[in-house]
Amino acid sequence: MRLTWPMTRRRFLFTTGTGAVVAGVLGFLGATVRYLFPNVLYEPASRFPAGHPGDFPAGEPSFLPDRRLFVFNSSAGFYAISSVCTHLGCNVRFVAGEGFACPCHGSRFDLNGQVVSGPAPRPLAWFGLSLSPRGELVVDERRTVDPDYRFKV
Amino acid sequence: MPDAARLRLWLRSVGRSVFRVGWPRTDKDRAAAMISSFFLHIHSAKVQPHSLRPSYTLGLGLLSFYLFGVLIITGIALMLYYIPTPLAAYRSMKDLQFVVTFGMVLRNMHRWAAHVMVIAVFLHMCRVFFTGAYKIPRQFNWVVGVGLFLLTLFLSFTGYLLPWDQLSLWAITVGTNMASYAPWLGDYLKYLLLGGNVIGPATLLRFYVLHCVILPAIAVGLVGVHFFRVRKDGLSAPARPEPAPVEEERSGRFPASTRSYGLMALTDRPALPVEETDPEAEDEVMAWPHLLYRELIVLLALLVVLHVVSLLFDAPLEELADPTRTPNPAKAPWYFLGLQELVHYSAFIGGVLVPTIVVLLLLLTPYLDSAPRGVGVWFAPERRWANWIFGVLASVAILLTLIGTYFRGTNWAWVWPWTG
Amino acid sequence: MRNPQTSPLRLHQAFAVLGVAFLAIFAWVFFKEYLAEWRTIQAQFRRLERRVKDPHALSLAPPVGGIQQIWLTDLDRVDRCTTCHLGVDDPSFASAPQPFTAHPGAWLRTHSPDRFGCTVCHGGQGEATTHADAAHHRVPYWPEPIRAGELIEANCGTCHRQRVVPQAFWLTSGREQIARAGCAACHDIPGFSGAEVRAPRLESVGYKLQPAWVNVWLANPSDYLSQARMPNFRLTPDEIAGLSAFLLAQRAVAPLDSSAIDWGQANPQRGRTLFGEARCVTCHMVDGRGGTLGPDLSAVASKVRREWLFSFLKDPMRDQPDAVMLRYRFTDEEIRDLVAYLTTELLGSTEPSATPDLRYQSPTLVEQGREAFVRHGCYGCHRFAGMENLPKIGPSLVGVGDKPVEPAEFKGKTVVPTLPNWLFLKLREPDALLAASRMPTYAFTEMEAAVVVIGLLSIRKTELPASRVTTAPQPEPYQPQGAFGALVSRYRCLSCHRVGGSGGTLSTVPLDRIGSQLQRTYLIDYLQNPGAVRVGIEERMPKFGMTAEEARTLADYMSTVFVDDSLDGPFKPDPEATRRGERLFEALGCRSCHIVGGRGGYVGPDLGDSGRRLKPGWIEAWLTDPEGWKPGTLQPNYGLRAEEARDLAAYLMSLTSGVGGRTR
Repeated sequence: MRLTWPMTRRRFLFTTGTGAVVAGVLGFLGATVRYLFPNVLYEPASRFPAGHPGDFPAGEPSFLPDRRLFVFNSSAGFYAISSVCTHLGCNVRFVAGEGFACPCHGSRFDLNGQVVSGPAPRPLAWFGLSLSPRGELVVDERRTVDPDYRFKV
Repeated sequence: MPDAARLRLWLRSVGRSVFRVGWPRTDKDRAAAMISSFFLHIHSAKVQPHSLRPSYTLGLGLLSFYLFGVLIITGIALMLYYIPTPLAAYRSMKDLQFVVTFGMVLRNMHRWAAHVMVIAVFLHMCRVFFTGAYKIPRQFNWVVGVGLFLLTLFLSFTGYLLPWDQLSLWAITVGTNMASYAPWLGDYLKYLLLGGNVIGPATLLRFYVLHCVILPAIAVGLVGVHFFRVRKDGLSAPARPEPAPVEEERSGRFPASTRSYGLMALTDRPALPVEETDPEAEDEVMAWPHLLYRELIVLLALLVVLHVVSLLFDAPLEELADPTRTPNPAKAPWYFLGLQELVHYSAFIGGVLVPTIVVLLLLLTPYLDSAPRGVGVWFAPERRWANWIFGVLASVAILLTLIGTYFRGTNWAWVWPWTG
Repeated sequence: MRNPQTSPLRLHQAFAVLGVAFLAIFAWVFFKEYLAEWRTIQAQFRRLERRVKDPHALSLAPPVGGIQQIWLTDLDRVDRCTTCHLGVDDPSFASAPQPFTAHPGAWLRTHSPDRFGCTVCHGGQGEATTHADAAHHRVPYWPEPIRAGELIEANCGTCHRQRVVPQAFWLTSGREQIARAGCAACHDIPGFSGAEVRAPRLESVGYKLQPAWVNVWLANPSDYLSQARMPNFRLTPDEIAGLSAFLLAQRAVAPLDSSAIDWGQANPQRGRTLFGEARCVTCHMVDGRGGTLGPDLSAVASKVRREWLFSFLKDPMRDQPDAVMLRYRFTDEEIRDLVAYLTTELLGSTEPSATPDLRYQSPTLVEQGREAFVRHGCYGCHRFAGMENLPKIGPSLVGVGDKPVEPAEFKGKTVVPTLPNWLFLKLREPDALLAASRMPTYAFTEMEAAVVVIGLLSIRKTELPASRVTTAPQPEPYQPQGAFGALVSRYRCLSCHRVGGSGGTLSTVPLDRIGSQLQRTYLIDYLQNPGAVRVGIEERMPKFGMTAEEARTLADYMSTVFVDDSLDGPFKPDPEATRRGERLFEALGCRSCHIVGGRGGYVGPDLGDSGRRLKPGWIEAWLTDPEGWKPGTLQPNYGLRAEEARDLAAYLMSLTSGVGGRTR
């Protein structure tokens, strides 16, 4: 099909119709893709209150097993490190004074979650913290931060 | 050879491997396009102008097919957010309504298309009857069509339960209890349908599988057979002055029409326009563009109407299903309300005898009324009696359905719809 | 088909129009989705947030966007209210307009939205993302609209199953009203036991009542007593005749013999004095004044027979083993005078009938009466020998908060057909709704009916996970044994006092640690001659006529058993501390409520003789945390330091004068 000028009335009508239908079909495809993205998730919230700052003992990590997260209450402030090994997703264990060790394939991380040895490709994830209006420590898993992050209450 | 030209050639060869003919410019190309495409070859390359007249077919078969397509596409989309367990099913409906982008429009489309399809298939059946199109050689296709009509009802019926609200629960309760009136088999039938004695999670799962897998698969198969017969037998048309069909044809061993084969033969002579070389088809027109264009327009019109309806009217969703609380009146889906009205008079006669006789009559119609007269014309005078009988039966069915829908209130007592 | 090569122009026209329409429809679909109500509201919120918050707070705030959802996994409940109510958990939006207003009060501190969501307390359709669908008001097909106003307390009660929920006043009132009205006698109500409902036993009632009164009472109890606890059963005259005969025929236990009493000698004036001295009005109302623990005696003369009253005053437990009434230690002459006072001066509208009614001797009438007695479920409140195992007469109210109501049930009443309205009407006029009802008519005021509705609405159908439910432990019935137990039973201490959470609520003083609060000598004295510690209080402990021996037994037991070791510290009188305490007493203004040395207020107890009455450890503990010992007390918490409390205790222990002390 070739567009030539001046168009006949028939050709103009047909072109208009075809263009509109093609645009409509593209819209339909776009809508379909949008439809596939869920707007609400039936899974634990990625931003959640972990507890009151006073609940976390100073100097040692508190492990939240259902959130797979270590919360540290250091003298410089709070920080939260994910316990999900960046290799294949096992839970790493805290080794006092050394860092973290993954039981699955032997990856080792230092106290800041940086890879020391083993197959893990990336350091452990650090999550941003904030304070809720009720004074609870809120972890936001969508916001990753650098290992020098400390949250002062 | 320059690279650009080689690439263009290569791309062209890839394109040609998919679209054998390309955009056709001549009738020969158009015919070849029709024949070489899986999707287009469902049509013959040439059709009788008679069959293009909207006043003859009313496009009802086509509409039914489109609606079926719409239902399959929207249905698959809905399945992505649907969980077939009681509470989750209801929650899915709420999610589609409130949080899934375009979810409500999709659900509305599915719901309204399903209702319209029941009507379209019924009207299609009426059209075929009143034009005598079920006569030789199309007897069996009528039988397939009756099967498709029942399948449409059953598809709609099984889908009715899936939202798991009060409306669905009690409509299905009434519907399955009507099934249990069938002699000997009734109770087993109900037990099998429900997967138990009461409607529960097992029932929901069964209806889900029936609605999404088993019945659509059967329907697709039957639609294929139905179309294949239409394609082979051609569209019914007024008898032309030609010799009476030979015995082979009458018994269906031979296709009455061999139009496509004739056309293939003609493609060997590409230089001449088709119309002039086929004396058999001198008044026929090319399916591309005449038929395809009309089909596309009908599809567009249907989509526009369906969307408008779906944007303006939301599919009903009542409270979560509660087996302890029967609404009054509890009504079956509307297309079974004629039946429910009959059952109201007599469970056995209304629920079993009459439907069985009606279905048997429908199935046997082409074999009981086998005289090949009055084909291809609306209300042919030769078929006055057949048309009268069918017309009265169809009217009674419509009347009963209307009564059940609008004139029955609390305790199935007679009410005038305008008294609120 | 003139030109088979080309399609007719109208086809092209149709195609072009439909194609454009098709595109337009898609645009409509997109706009409908992207102009959704909640998106507009979120845009408003972002503008408001920039105004309300400083840039630093703004940078820390979570980004607003998309549908917010709180998913309570254990209840499988989804609340998306925070999609629009974006400021609800942020105090900086306290004065923002709805829907962004912060939640008022401190409720979210105890009911964190992460754990409770919104609709658990408020109702409404949490899944919805539009104002209308969220059921802020009643919408079709959503049975649970947002509970407006006081009705929200019904939802408090769904989790808080204990009778008294301190912060839910209407719910608590409703539950107390349900208990008081005795609903559980006829209905199964979770949290209420039919055994709580106590009405007089009727096996010997034939000796007690005057026939004329029985007819008046049965026809409509409030004709005799406007505050009658028994509701009106809307009995037919035939039923009244039968029931009356049945009741008068009940003569299981004959009254104590009073044939030796010379009624001619009776002195009603002495009886009246005795009535006052014994503090009968603490429990009984006479002419609008007095307590409500016992029946109103304003017209008792028309109700009971003289001989029965004599026997009852002498031994109330004779035919009423569960009587709330205590057994005074009166002489026969005193009882004679009391009876004379009650039967000659407390006359009602019905004259006492002199002629004995003999209808109860008709066996058919008695049998009809028995049938009516069973039909109306009288045995629910009036325990009756041989009817212990009959079922409760009313329908179970388990899940009544989810009872569906049909508009037809309102029988043309012009009210919105909701469950709260249905319950309210049912309580006020049980016979005015569609379904025939055997439920008697209670004289509930509108307020009483409304709080009962709140109490009932809290009883839901669905089971809650145990972690969601709070209950109060059921107190073990306290039944002391031995000599002490016999005295507690005789003087019915537990009709008014609580021990271990069980017992009556008339007295504000639980006995659990009374031995650590009061001195033994004072107790002995007080039991024999009780007075008012707090002058302004009407309910006072009756004068039992207890012997000194009995008082000693009770006091000894209480001083050794009802003690709290944490209160029994060593105490040494210290003049320095006493002086410091006195200065503090004056400085804090204690005198504005308490009398000391003949001067002071009447709100709190007279403290003139506290050195002979109270124990120092208790004073100290009480002053440090009054609310902790007695929730709702008027005593202010001054935030005293331990030594200050000790000084005050020392001062109060030095007050033994009793000047201006007890009023009686």
